[in-house]
Amino acid sequence: MQAVADIDPVEGRPALIAGDPDFHSITETVAAPMEWTPPRGWYIALGVSLLMLSMLGVSIGWLFWEGVGIWGNNQPVAWGWPIVNFVFWVGIGHAGTLISAVLFLFRQKWRTSINRTAEAMTIFAVMCALIFPGIHIGRPWLPYWMMPVPNSMDMWPQFRSPLMWDVFAVSIYGTVSLLFWYLGLIPDLATMRDRAKTKVRRIAYGVFSMGWRGSQRQWHHYEKAYLLLAGLATPLVLSVHSVVSFDFATSQLPGWHTTIFPPYFVAGAIFSGIAMVVTLMVICRVLFKLESIVNLLHFDRMAKLLLVTGSIVGYAYSIEFFIAWYSGNPYEGFTFLNRAFGPYAWAYWIMVSCNVITPQIFWFKKARTNMTILFIASIFINIGMWFERFVIVVTSLHRDFLPSSWGYFRPTFWDIATFVGSFGLFFTMFCLFVRFLPMVAMAEVKGVLPEAHGRPPEPETDMPAIDVSATETAQVAGTARVP
Amino acid sequence: MHHEPITVPTASVTLPEGNSWGRLSRISAVVGVVALLATFALYFKDGHTFFPSYLVAFLFWLSIALGGLIFVLIQYATRAGWSVAVRRLAEHVMGTLPVFGLLFLPLLLGIHDLYHWSHHEAVEADRLLEHKSAFLNSFGFSTRSVVYLVIWSLLAWWFRRQSIAQDQSKDPQVTRRLQARSAPAILVFALTVTFASFDWIMSLDPHWYSTVFGVYLFAGCFLAIHAVLALLCLRLQNQKLLAGVVSFEHYHDLGKMLFAMVVFWAYIGFSQYMLIWYANIPEETAFFQERLTHGWKGITVALVLGHFVLPFLFLLLRGVKRRRATLRFAALWLLAVHWLDLYWLVMPPLNHDGPHFSFADVTAFVGIGGLFLAVLATLMQKSALVPIGDPRLTESLSFENV
Amino acid sequence: MSGQAASTEYGLLAEFQTPEHLYQACEKVRDAGFSHWDAHSPFPIHGLDKAMGLKKSPVSLFVLVLGLSGATIGMLMQWWVATKAYPLVISGKPLFSWPAFIPIAFECGILGGAVGALLGFLSQARLPRPHHALFNASRLERVTDDAFFISIETADPNFDRESTAQLLKDLGATHVEAVAA
Repeated sequence: MQAVADIDPVEGRPALIAGDPDFHSITETVAAPMEWTPPRGWYIALGVSLLMLSMLGVSIGWLFWEGVGIWGNNQPVAWGWPIVNFVFWVGIGHAGTLISAVLFLFRQKWRTSINRTAEAMTIFAVMCALIFPGIHIGRPWLPYWMMPVPNSMDMWPQFRSPLMWDVFAVSIYGTVSLLFWYLGLIPDLATMRDRAKTKVRRIAYGVFSMGWRGSQRQWHHYEKAYLLLAGLATPLVLSVHSVVSFDFATSQLPGWHTTIFPPYFVAGAIFSGIAMVVTLMVICRVLFKLESIVNLLHFDRMAKLLLVTGSIVGYAYSIEFFIAWYSGNPYEGFTFLNRAFGPYAWAYWIMVSCNVITPQIFWFKKARTNMTILFIASIFINIGMWFERFVIVVTSLHRDFLPSSWGYFRPTFWDIATFVGSFGLFFTMFCLFVRFLPMVAMAEVKGVLPEAHGRPPEPETDMPAIDVSATETAQVAGTARVP
Repeated sequence: MHHEPITVPTASVTLPEGNSWGRLSRISAVVGVVALLATFALYFKDGHTFFPSYLVAFLFWLSIALGGLIFVLIQYATRAGWSVAVRRLAEHVMGTLPVFGLLFLPLLLGIHDLYHWSHHEAVEADRLLEHKSAFLNSFGFSTRSVVYLVIWSLLAWWFRRQSIAQDQSKDPQVTRRLQARSAPAILVFALTVTFASFDWIMSLDPHWYSTVFGVYLFAGCFLAIHAVLALLCLRLQNQKLLAGVVSFEHYHDLGKMLFAMVVFWAYIGFSQYMLIWYANIPEETAFFQERLTHGWKGITVALVLGHFVLPFLFLLLRGVKRRRATLRFAALWLLAVHWLDLYWLVMPPLNHDGPHFSFADVTAFVGIGGLFLAVLATLMQKSALVPIGDPRLTESLSFENV
Repeated sequence: MSGQAASTEYGLLAEFQTPEHLYQACEKVRDAGFSHWDAHSPFPIHGLDKAMGLKKSPVSLFVLVLGLSGATIGMLMQWWVATKAYPLVISGKPLFSWPAFIPIAFECGILGGAVGALLGFLSQARLPRPHHALFNASRLERVTDDAFFISIETADPNFDRESTAQLLKDLGATHVEAVAA
């Protein structure tokens, strides 16, 4: 399809990249943040992030010294914030894979402006996620027990446990995301290598670009590998949050055991992740002067994705509620009434208003293209999605089957410090990323410019090609680009 | 590069005078009516097998029409360009929905034969059914069913009419209006199809429940419409129609969507099975227990192989999606296993001791299918086969797969 | 190999103005029967592989083989652990509980496929390769920015210093230079 930057006949679809850029100006725009002295805002952000990161360090240090008793986890809510935070962070990561892989398969070329950042976010989010089960195991020097490695005790992991599936799913997700991200980075790293003014930069970018020279014989295999990785990452991203949902849904606990969990978790994960991309992009495009590359069109599309995934989440909430009644299972019914009207009703209604009501504002185009509204709504959605996991974990546990085992979960200072600290890790990584790596996939953005086309290839098929030379013709509305 | 209007031959986007679709329409109508009469006659011979057979056939053809509706809604909502060339065919398919309103009526007479919860003595003896009777009662069931069918018919009728009017007016405003309406229409569709799946299929075993059941049925509908669209295009192109409009690129995309829906169906199906198997709660496992014992186990295994493993491997190949014979085979195969899927959903609660072949299975299938085809072929005569007024048609004519 | 091409020379590097020029030039170079040559661009150009006459990339084969192996190994590992190495009855489920083993087998398959894609790409694109004779041409640095090139090696049987350079110029090259080996 040649008509990438064509004006859409219906909506006057704006060009993917605003202004009238050429290949060189894109290189300049994207490379600038890595070559300037960074703006003061960057130093402030890095400083605050490092401060939060050190809070994470202290929290984990104290945890290892003292034990998991410093957290609010206790009977009946034995799974507290650590699992909430784990699911929250894994979910954030999913938008990166959606944007880089799923939208790629659906030929959504607008993704090229935001996919690099979204993928980076995926990797950092998975790093944050992996911390929580890692430090939650009580004896943090024994995590290798979760790996199938021969050991002197002659013991092996118990693969029927969904928690073991998690270990594999999330670590493989992190690995594959990293591979995908790195593959996409190679041509851009070569650009940085060729622009490098200092020897250190030249060597560093040179090593990681592996001798890329933009050769068609390389691009040929590169494109194939990229397409296949996108094809693999798509079912992977579905499976990862499905596996996370299995942690809950394989149990017999009311509110956890329900068959809609896998697709519902996946939709929720993408929902929260896109919200995070919006939050970050609203800031970054201003800070690093990327307004022409990341423009209103991209926000409009992301807001629509928020509306879609938010509605799917709303659908799941409603169906769960209905089936809780329909099942006739008194425990199931009680759990859901308890969610909405019990001691944690405040959390439930925060969840509903943030996740279901907030995104409804995106029915309006004005809201989809207004940075202030986007920013505020995306923050609300992030909060709402954290609360969704909180509601799922805590409300299903805090009133056990016997009223004598009822309780009320309260987080401790260290719960909060660890969670806030994990944002420190995320933002520190993100600050370093925007400083040292190209935050927009230059090669891909250049490839969607209107002047980037050679000529379409000849088809290999036994089906008839389009024949526009017939004598008796009906004119079709609109016009197309013909090379 | 420069702009140039793309033109397509008029003769290739409208059915010519005296085309074979008119004959098809008449023949299917006759065959359909005869087969339906035969089905009703079988009712008097064996009332017990009539309604289940009729329900399976009804659901199979309805799922195709519903697939057409959601296909059209999704294409508008996503402002899709590639699919415009095949969208009109989906609009014709969904245009058959009002017929299903009529075809549903016999099922209202069969509530007692099909649904255990409709018997007062059963409800009185069963605390669970008593609890559910606020929802599962004959009046509610009938009312809701009528509401679903009316909503679907109205949506299909309105979207199809607007789109056809655009053929003449070529007004982009129409596309804008349909885009704006499609998103809320999808919400309505999602809820109605979910509850229809609960009412018509899930409640056949009134104790059983699964929150993902609506999504499972949706996966089947969406799979079926892509198979039907591929078959319709292949048929029309054999008759030298749609030349210059539908290219192998569209077939490739339809094939890719078939592949994606095969995987999606398996994903939903496996998630549902695995979670129920794992938690092992008796009132939930009953569903699979029933389908893994007696004669049903064979069907279940056939479904796993035929609906997932084999088509997955077959459609993985790029060439399969770009060649006529292989794509036709895949589409027919998938429609067959989609029918098997519905048979597998409906029959076990009514025939505990294994599948029973009955003539009503065939006659109901042919009967409803005949009427479906008759209406479809009639609708296809009434307008162009391609939305020639759609501003995005040119985009659809010129896209290319990577 | 043509006689007068010095062995200290890698070949010729010709610059083209736009992707379209490059595309048309590639078709001609392909038709002239060259085999040791390459095109260079800042981004993949749609259809250029066909214009150059490149064969289908075998990367998918790597993905298929490694992906299937990954899934098989994942399933076998769980089967062996659960039934042979450490048989333990958990929640009344059979030792070989295949539904519970599908997620990990699936993930291992994806991991195998992804590693296959990377290895396939690296081995086919002959990377990593820290140095290449073409890097001697400082002009080529712009290929990662906004320039388009064709390089033809002296190793090509059809290569001839004069006529090949002339061919490239005729095809619209704005600049042709010799690259040291």
